[in-house]
Amino acid sequence: MKQRSILVAGLLFSAGVLAGAADNVSVQDPYVRLAPPNAPATGAFMVIRNNGDKDVKVVKADNPVSKVTELHTHVNEGGVMKMRPVPAIEIKAKGEAVLKPGSLHVMMIDLKSPMKEGDTVPITLTFDDGSSTRVDARVVRTTAAPAATEPRQP
Amino acid sequence: MSERVLSVIAGLLAALVLGLALFWQPEVTERPLPRAAMPEGGDFTLHSAAGPVALGDFRGKVVLLYFGYTYCPDICPTSLAATAEALKQLNPDELARVAVILVSVDPKRDTPARLKEYAEFFHPAIVGVTGTPEELAAVAKRYGVFYAEQKVATAGDGYVVDHSADTYVVAADGKLVGRIAHATPPDQVAAIIRKHLYPP
Repeated sequence: MKQRSILVAGLLFSAGVLAGAADNVSVQDPYVRLAPPNAPATGAFMVIRNNGDKDVKVVKADNPVSKVTELHTHVNEGGVMKMRPVPAIEIKAKGEAVLKPGSLHVMMIDLKSPMKEGDTVPITLTFDDGSSTRVDARVVRTTAAPAATEPRQP
Repeated sequence: MSERVLSVIAGLLAALVLGLALFWQPEVTERPLPRAAMPEGGDFTLHSAAGPVALGDFRGKVVLLYFGYTYCPDICPTSLAATAEALKQLNPDELARVAVILVSVDPKRDTPARLKEYAEFFHPAIVGVTGTPEELAAVAKRYGVFYAEQKVATAGDGYVVDHSADTYVVAADGKLVGRIAHATPPDQVAAIIRKHLYPP
């Protein structure tokens, strides 16, 4: 009996640990821009929605395709584009973060091998509470109208 | 004021905002350069995988110039894809009268051979060139292009290159005539090219 209650307590505890920011987050329209030949880096874009009541932060991203994964943004200063790493991407409670060309992106640096259109890249987003979520992003040859800015299909 | 009136006003405002968002498409995205501020532009020679490329080689053609680098994961591909899409909208006769030159401002990493494949991925008509730091600085100065290597905490060799993201338009007579802002849609890029192909 005592053992069983320890087991139950243990299960409840692990459920509590697992229930983190990741559970309240949904990701829409993830895609990776097909890297041109010889381009050592490319970007992944998506809309991260926080359905929870607390602000969350993406503090890390990972993927198996590039040696390094960073969180970056762009600042446009009078027509000069400045790309900079950011420590985290914040998503307000009931809000969303839009990762899109010319703005926030998951930067994939030093691609291990050339990618193909249609490949799927599993991207792991880690949140500030240690929870994480996996996003399967398709590799897309982007034209001037990237998927994330097209009207969503109903 | 009653709540009813307020909500009608709110509704009208919302409709106005929505209407603007849906239908307002500013016509002019090519920034006309004020005479006084017009950089001098002019001829230059840089290096492609196939040998030297001079702006003068393209006299008689409308030339689009873009300054970027292959480590650029987002801005350069967005601009180059828009230009490539615009080229696809031209008929063969028009296309034959247009040239696009990608100038890499990151010669440490971008060799002419690397640039060739990179540029042709977007469109076979795009020529990739680069040069020595001195050659690039001279061209950039004459075209009013800003670029600067910035040390940042990133894995990509520890630097990124800040750069002007406009596309520069050189008319058939070799004169710098305008700039196309970053993220201009392909239709508008094509319209700007045609404007210079058929001068009044």
